Amino acid sequence: MAQVKPQIVFDPWNDPEAKPLIECRSITKRFGDFTAIDNINLNIYEKEFFALLGPSGCGKTTLMRMLAGFETPTEGKITIDGQDVAQVPPNKRAVNMMFQSYALFPHLSVWENIAFGLKREHAPKDRIEERVAEMLRLTRLEKFARRKPHQISGGQRQRVALARSLAKAPKLLLLDEPLGALDKKLRQDTQFELMDIQERTGTTFVIVTHDQEEAMTVASRVAVMDAGEIMQIATPADIYEQPNSVYVADFIGDVNIIEGNASPMAGGPEGAINIAYAEGQDPVQAVATTPVAEGEKVFYAIRPEKITVSHQPDPDRANHAFGKIIDIAYLGNISTYRVQLASGKLISATMTNSRRLTRRAFTWEDEVWLSWTRTAGVVLTK
Amino acid sequence: MNLRRLVLISVPYLWLVALFLVPFLIVVKISLSTTAIAIPPYTPTLDLAQGWAGFKDFLSQLSFDNFTFLTQDDLYWKAYLSSLKIAALSTLFTLLVAYPIAYGMARVPDEWRPTLLMLIILPFWTSFLIRVYAWMGILSDEGLLNQFLMWLGVISSPLHIMNTSKAVYIGIVYTYLPFMVLPIYAALDKMDESLNEAAVDLGASRLSSFWLVTLPMSRNGVIAGCFLVFIPALGEYVIPQLLGGSQTLMIGKVLWDEFFSNRDWPVASAVAVVLLVILIVPIVLFQRNQQKQQEAES
Amino acid sequence: MLKTLIPAALLAMCGTMAAAEEVRVYNWSDYIDESLLKKFEDETGIKLIYDVFDSNEVLETKLLSGNSGYDVVVPTGSFIERQIQAGVFQKLDYSKLPNSKYLWDTIKERTAQYDPGNEYSVNYMWGTTGLGINIDKVKEVMGDDAPVDSLSLVFDPKNMEKLQKCGVMMLDAPTEMIPAALRYLGEDPNSKDPKVIAKAEPVLAAIRPYVQKFNSSEYINALANGDICVAFGWSGDILQARDRADEADNGVHIAYHIPKEGALMWFDQMAIPADAPNPEGALKFLNFMMDPQNVAAASNYVNYANGNKESQKYLDKAVLDDPAIYPDQETMDNLYTVTAYPPKVQRIVTRLWTKVKSGT
Repeated sequence: MAQVKPQIVFDPWNDPEAKPLIECRSITKRFGDFTAIDNINLNIYEKEFFALLGPSGCGKTTLMRMLAGFETPTEGKITIDGQDVAQVPPNKRAVNMMFQSYALFPHLSVWENIAFGLKREHAPKDRIEERVAEMLRLTRLEKFARRKPHQISGGQRQRVALARSLAKAPKLLLLDEPLGALDKKLRQDTQFELMDIQERTGTTFVIVTHDQEEAMTVASRVAVMDAGEIMQIATPADIYEQPNSVYVADFIGDVNIIEGNASPMAGGPEGAINIAYAEGQDPVQAVATTPVAEGEKVFYAIRPEKITVSHQPDPDRANHAFGKIIDIAYLGNISTYRVQLASGKLISATMTNSRRLTRRAFTWEDEVWLSWTRTAGVVLTK
Repeated sequence: MNLRRLVLISVPYLWLVALFLVPFLIVVKISLSTTAIAIPPYTPTLDLAQGWAGFKDFLSQLSFDNFTFLTQDDLYWKAYLSSLKIAALSTLFTLLVAYPIAYGMARVPDEWRPTLLMLIILPFWTSFLIRVYAWMGILSDEGLLNQFLMWLGVISSPLHIMNTSKAVYIGIVYTYLPFMVLPIYAALDKMDESLNEAAVDLGASRLSSFWLVTLPMSRNGVIAGCFLVFIPALGEYVIPQLLGGSQTLMIGKVLWDEFFSNRDWPVASAVAVVLLVILIVPIVLFQRNQQKQQEAES
Repeated sequence: MLKTLIPAALLAMCGTMAAAEEVRVYNWSDYIDESLLKKFEDETGIKLIYDVFDSNEVLETKLLSGNSGYDVVVPTGSFIERQIQAGVFQKLDYSKLPNSKYLWDTIKERTAQYDPGNEYSVNYMWGTTGLGINIDKVKEVMGDDAPVDSLSLVFDPKNMEKLQKCGVMMLDAPTEMIPAALRYLGEDPNSKDPKVIAKAEPVLAAIRPYVQKFNSSEYINALANGDICVAFGWSGDILQARDRADEADNGVHIAYHIPKEGALMWFDQMAIPADAPNPEGALKFLNFMMDPQNVAAASNYVNYANGNKESQKYLDKAVLDDPAIYPDQETMDNLYTVTAYPPKVQRIVTRLWTKVKSGT
């Protein structure tokens, strides 16, 4: 389990002096007519746990395979530790990869699988013994060293794959959907284990995943990708709270998107705008982080948990909307209400269930007020 | 339910008994008899009409003389050894030719594979004899191969391939190639390409990845293919008869001579029984390999 | 061996199932004028099923397995001798063979050594084993005085060394080759004495390196195409090669010579298996083939002499006057026959032949 310990904030990406371990400069990869990666720039720093997140086909795996050396960029340059790796074949890179299928050698024992990489660099025998033992300990596989991959469970196989790819102490470890084959419960446990191992070994991890929850849990930074482009690179919190596009906002968690036309709010604080989104409704009051022109079409993204549901408008919050509950999703600790506004627009709002069910305040067909503050949502222009 | 299972299980066993065990026992019985000028040309024959007495009488007349006879003439063990050598070498050559073919087939894009598989199986659509005769046309002194090489100017006088052991090896490799290609292809096809990538990722070169991963992964296919070639090649008669010279000594030819020229069914049967005993070793090994493979896959 | 049993068994089954009267004949391939088959059916109303084989061994194995399903078979003399002992055949009812009066006594006398009294068989065709020569090519490598009518042509290594340039093939049949080698040495070709038989080995081993192939059928084409220049083979086959070369007009001229030392004379005999499904029909077929005109037609077609004296009236002149087919009396007197080897000696003969061919 990850230990909660006081530590200095780890944010080398904010340090202009810090030298990235991996630099991708204007990387483009085309397969025939198809552009898999479109002019990507990316810095990954030492000891980072970096996630490439996106739906399947977004190019994240291609990007990872270029880092491993299995694909070469059509254009652009990748440097690892300051060295241009264009001419470095995969077996000469200080990069190891954990494959989605684990790619364990079925004819070799767990021990031999882990030792495979060490033997290839002709490490001395006792060094191999020592290192493999260390890896087995790290992944709690000591008891299974003599077993063949088909004789152990899926979770154990996953750990063998991890141990094997870490055995050579690579500068960079690439993990392709490392938890994809595990069931949900095991996946959550393993996420923490991965973080723990990453922290203990101090290796730079780059994980490829389509599971936003997984990316948010494990990564220090997340790159959200779509159709060969990186939409946003930020910490999980920033990605969630400050998405830079409707795509990112929508991809990560639940969000209400209110589309409207912006106009500066007279006398408001800096950047404050009104967003008119429906006839007869009060405009949404919001704060734009980037300048917005008069009448520009904008998207207001607000998370359901940022909206309160009440019988009366909450006077402490600047935004109000009136509507009728048409659906309630009861999830135990929280309930999500689907509220239909007069314009027909559906808004989701999440309330914690601090009270018992029988004394719940709202039910279907109730007419309620939704309230939220000016800074609860973000103004997006794309 | 249990009865149904019993029936299902008994089907392959009945098959085995009817098509292997019974004929084999008949051959064993003949191998313990002595020749006679009669129909059939050996004695004693089992006369079931006389019941138990007839059976006892039959048993008392059996003898192992034919097997001791086989040890007295060096022809037989030389023929067995020569057959083993020819079968082993041609299995090796077949493997060397088949592996790259199977490897290539498993690596080409999916849409090509049915066509390639088809091409491998296609020769089976023509009679085996016709194909061997075609090789006679290719390999003979005036044949296509010599004509072509002479036209190229590589050679000035024809190569003598036809009626030599070389032609036998060519014939066996050609005939049994599909039996080697298909199991190796099946093994390689099943193999996940990411295993090779993993090996390369861990520092192996492409070549050592082949030795350390691809080859061991296709091991079962290679073993299956080798047995499928070796076992029939050992008793091969037609190919050495048509393509080989008279100096190509194989047990199949010796068997034919015993049976047809000497009309000595008992000795011929003894030769066949010994051949089968020799074959049982690789067949049992093959069986064990298949079983292990199945266990590994389940 | 089961392979040979199964078709025979199937055939036997078919035989019992068929309703119309049938006669099943099993003869050598390319050994009859096929129009005779139709003629037999028309004359007798019996359906004729005509099947062919190409080796005595194959025929014998079928017969010894029992229930071959055939009514008439045509083994060679030395084979029929042993087969009679094995009880393969039934005695012929000569009262139903009126045409047997046309048989040629000279031949009957000779075949009686295999089938005493000709009780079980009658002669179909007979021939000799001798030298097939590509006249021009042999002249080319050996000069004008090549001993083309002597066994020394193929049994003297000095001659063979020269002939190997243009190619020599020999029968893959120890029962033909060993008597010939013994005759060349002046020994009794019909000897059953292992010591005498052993003398053939050095002769055959010495010429072995110069023989392109021992094979009993390929030499017909090879000779006709000019691939080889000498074949030691059966008279009719070599004459067939001669005719093929003439038809192809390929400049190859083939001649058949009976060696002056004497040649093996062999007889293909028609007989009825003891278990023949239709022995009456078989007798009708035998009688049909003993009709002088019918058997003359067969001989004209296959270039072999037959054992029917009367048929000589109906033979083509080219056949009757060809000494390669009907040798003159002097040559005839010089021909020899061989009888079957006893099983133990047969084994020695086969072994010797294997040793000659493979060196083991």
